[in-house]
Formats: sequence, C-alpha cells, structure tokens
Amino acid sequence: MRRLSSRTMTGQDTMEPLERLLNLVGLLLESPTPLTFEQIRETLEAYQGDNLDSVKRKFERDKDMLRAYGVPLEMTGTDVWDVEQGYTIRKDRYYLPDIAFTPEEITALYLAAQSGPAPTDAVSGVRKLIYGVDGGVLTGSPGGPLAMESDTDQDRLMAAAGAASDRHAVRFGYRTAQGATSERTVDAFGVVFRSGRWYLVGHDHERDAIRAFRLSRVTTDLADAGAGIDPPEGFAAIEHVESAPWDAAGLAVAHVAFTPEAAVLAEGNISGASRDRVREDGWIVLALPAADADTLGPLILQYGREAEVLDPPALRDDVIARLVAVTGA
Amino acid sequence: MLVVVPYLIQHPGTTLDEASALFAIPVPQLRRDLEQLFLAGLPPYGPGDLIDVDIDEDGGIWVAMADHFARPLRLTRQEALAVYVRATELAATPGVPVAPALTAALAKLREALGPDALGEAAGIAGAEPGTPPENLDAVRAASGSRERLRISYVAQSTGERTERVVDPEAVFASAGHWYAAVWDVDVNDERLLRIDRIASAEPTGERFEPRGLPGAGRPLYTPSDRDVDVRARLHPPARWVAEYYLVRDVTEGPEGSLEVTLPTATMGWIARLFLRLGSDAEVLEPARLRDEIASEARETLARYGRRLPSSG
Repeated sequence: MRRLSSRTMTGQDTMEPLERLLNLVGLLLESPTPLTFEQIRETLEAYQGDNLDSVKRKFERDKDMLRAYGVPLEMTGTDVWDVEQGYTIRKDRYYLPDIAFTPEEITALYLAAQSGPAPTDAVSGVRKLIYGVDGGVLTGSPGGPLAMESDTDQDRLMAAAGAASDRHAVRFGYRTAQGATSERTVDAFGVVFRSGRWYLVGHDHERDAIRAFRLSRVTTDLADAGAGIDPPEGFAAIEHVESAPWDAAGLAVAHVAFTPEAAVLAEGNISGASRDRVREDGWIVLALPAADADTLGPLILQYGREAEVLDPPALRDDVIARLVAVTGA
Repeated sequence: MLVVVPYLIQHPGTTLDEASALFAIPVPQLRRDLEQLFLAGLPPYGPGDLIDVDIDEDGGIWVAMADHFARPLRLTRQEALAVYVRATELAATPGVPVAPALTAALAKLREALGPDALGEAAGIAGAEPGTPPENLDAVRAASGSRERLRISYVAQSTGERTERVVDPEAVFASAGHWYAAVWDVDVNDERLLRIDRIASAEPTGERFEPRGLPGAGRPLYTPSDRDVDVRARLHPPARWVAEYYLVRDVTEGPEGSLEVTLPTATMGWIARLFLRLGSDAEVLEPARLRDEIASEARETLARYGRRLPSSG
C-alpha cells in the first residue's frame, strides 16, 4: 500500500465533508448530462488529490452517504450508446414536489412525528416538509406535545406497513391471545390502529382466510416472503379488526347501575358507555353497548358489589349464575 | 443541510436557536456548518449561484444561494411511511385536537408523493378514536401552563374517590388510554394517574415548577415494597391478564395455561379481577385471597336479592 504524502493528507483534511457533499450534489443537479468520475474530478477540487485510489474511495464513501440520506444519485449512460457510465441526480426525483399544506396541517404533522418514543424517520421526514410553511410550527398545540407510547415494536410496525404498501407477503411467529404459537405467512393488505394497538391485516396462507394479527403478539421479526396477492375488490382493512369484545357494536343496550366511584372507572374502561340517569340512592345508571353475555357479564363482575345489572334479564341471570358458581353454593 | 438550507432560504432571519430546536442540531455545530456552506457553491456555478451566508448580531440567519438548494429533498420511502404511520396513530387516538388537520395532511402527502414513496398507503388506517376522557383538555392545559390542579380521583385499586392537589407534569397516551404523571402535593410523592379516572379537575390558580417527572415510556405500574404477590394459573381464555397487567415469573402450565405472579397493592381490586375471570383462572396463593373472592361474590349476590349461607 502506498504511503500518502503529508501534503496530500493536509489537502484532504482542509476540505470538510459537508462542503464536498454539497458541491457534489449541486454539480450533479445542475449538469444537463450525466458526468463521469473523470469529469467530476476535473470540476471539483475535493477529488483532485494525486492518489487516485484514495480519491476514488472518498468518492465512493460520499456517494454512499448521500444515497443513505435519500439523495437519488444514479448511474446511467452518458450518451444514447451507453459507452460510458456517468453519475446524475434527476431533479424530478430529488426535489420534494410542492404540497400546499396549511399551517395547521404542518403543525399537526410535526406534532405527530414528535409524539413517538424516539427520534425516527418520521421526524426527519417532517423536517423536509416544513420548509415552505409560514412560521409558528414550533408553537405547538395548547397543552404541549402529544406524547404517545405503544406496546408495539416500532421496527416490526414499520416492516408491516412497508409490506402492506408493497403488497408483499411476510413470515413471522405469532402467539394468539390463548397462547398458541405458530409460524404464519401472510399477504399483507394493511395495518390498522384501533384502541391503542396496531394490527396487521392480510391473507393468512395457513388458514386461507383474511385475518388480523395484533403486532404486540408477533414473536419474531417480520421476514419478507416475496410478492403477495392483492386484496379482494372493495377491501377495507379496518373492517377486519374487531374492537375489544365488549365494545362490539351490538344493537342491544344493557343498563347497569354503579356506585358513583365505580361509574367513573366503568366509563373509562368500557368504550361506548354513556350516562343514562342518576338513581335516587346516588347510584349512576350507565347504558352499555351489550355484546353477548359471555363478554359483558364478566366485565361487570370486575366492579363487584359496586355494580348491579338492571336489564336485560338474560344478562342479569348470567351474572347471578357466575356469582353462584364462584361461591361454590 | 440539504434540508436545513431550504428552510433558511424560505424563512430569512430564522435565529440560530430556532433552527437548532427545529432540526435538532446543536448551535455550535449549526454555526460551523453554515460557515462551511459559505465555502461551498463556488465554481462550476455561475456568478448568480454564489452562496452568501450571514449571521447577524441577534443570531438571525440570512442565506442567499443557488436555486438548486431552495427546495428540499424528497422524503425517502422509510420517512414517508413513518410519517404516515405516526400521523395515523395520532389521528386515531381520542382527544387529539389536530386529528382533522392530520387526516387532511395525509391525503395531500399521499397525492404528492405518489405510489413510489407510499405504495398502497390506503392500507394504513386508523379506527374511529372514540370519546376522549372528560377532563383531558383541562389536565393537558394545566400541564402546558404549569398550573396546579385540585382533582377528585377514583383509584381502580381501592375503588375509592379521593380529593388531591396535584402538579400535572406530563400527559401521554399509551395503549388507548391517557395518563398524567403528577406530583401529589399532599403525599409529597409522584403518582401516575389515568385521566379517565379523574372525576373533576379545578385549577387552583397556583403555578408549579416541574420536577422533571418521566412521561411517555415510563412503566405504567410501579412495584412497591408493600406489594403482595399473588400466584395464579390463567387458563387460555384468561391469558390476556398477562398482557394487560404487570406480571413476573411467567411459566407455561398444563393445557395451554399460564402461571404468573401478579404483584398487587390491594386485595380488593385483585379479588374483583378474579371474580371477573371466574373459572378461567385459579388463585394458587395466598389462600386468603380465595376467601376474599368468595366473600365479594356473596356481597354482590346480595345486590340481586340472593342470600347465600356463609361457607366460612
């Protein structure tokens, strides 16, 4: 390996990487034709060292860095006969198209990007969107930032979203709510956020049916399994993610009386609960969307003696039967 | 810089501090990078393409430079997807005032970036967010303006309502619920409250100095020395308990069951949980919890006009 002269070293060090990268991007963006490495060298001082190997390595590193950053640096023939290969950055692939966001919209996106657990691609993405917006983005919403956290592994979530948008299949380990584990291969159709949790919806090869998988129950990383099938006509991922069993949109309504304290808890825990009336003894009657007794009955039992089912009679009987069973009488 | 510079060109006079906060670049590094910018953009560009960077006495940044850096880079595919996923999540969370703006912004983003970046992004969807807790706005506003609150709170563990004076430091959503990390002035300790369990919230007019309590990402249950360990066997229909509550020493039991230890601060709450689980779960220890469950069942039956002889 050849030794670099101290003079070359000094020359390289004085040229800072940022300046070099900006110059390279500017040159390739403005050049009407692709430029060969030789042509780039002729123009940009940064690549003019005596040691061709080291200059070339530096150029390769710079290229990789720019690509990693999202600069669409492409290699293409310099003329129609493709005799020589040159580098180019196409303006239509480089520049963000104009998007007429309102200040409210961009503020909302900024808040959303910041709401996650750690700085992410969402943050760097939104930073690219704010350039043309009137000031005030930083003022945020009243009450400060909207912090969110999730029980879903963020890498797996992004892998699922990527597969769904690519129409790819993925393979992963899954544990059902009942604890059965198995390997699944699924043509990803969509990802859905419901009641604080993310789900992958797709065609399950094993079951040959559309299934929803809660991502927090996925036990492995998602492996790409190649191109997947398209969803059926009129498919809407959201229709395949059930709400929690007790907020299934049943037509029937159950009326349950709670102590004032238990009513506060129940309103927060049972989605779709609404206040019906206050009884003379101070108990509060809530109207609850009545799923089947198998799910609503146990849920009401969690309030113990502080709740009493008023109607329907079947639910009342169900709760009594469960209580009798527990007392062993 | 390919992202920062377009912003600075569009927003002349942005201060170093503002740009530093917006792009998460420390001020000294930003200053260094801007100085380098001044060196860039020399030939081969024409005279009109010279870059001029000026930082005034107040820290305002003025950039005049080649047109080719007046607009930023496109979002990478990963960035576009990540923005989409995050915004969908926030828009589907109850009590988010910017949800309509988010939905509108996503539609514009999808149209502008097209299938190259977002593919079939329509598959990324959020459900209707549902009703936010009644006092969410009040708590969030107090947290933002550092205002001490007088609240009435119902604890799930005791089922009792208490009046408290609290400093709400951080507000965050987790797994479908909103939480407030507060300093409880009366007990002089920190507490994590679920905002839907705040029955009323009144500003006291006093301000507080934040103590830096952790917000999102903190454990939702803090074990204490006074906790009692409950060992239980969860049959398959009750396995969800291990996903919803803090458990430890988890082992697989017979026939798809799961054995777990649930640390608990109060027996009343845990007895009612087992009342709910019925035959889907068995308490292994402590034995007195089984008595507690049976007693709670008898008391509850009394509500329905059923009297049963005490088995004890």
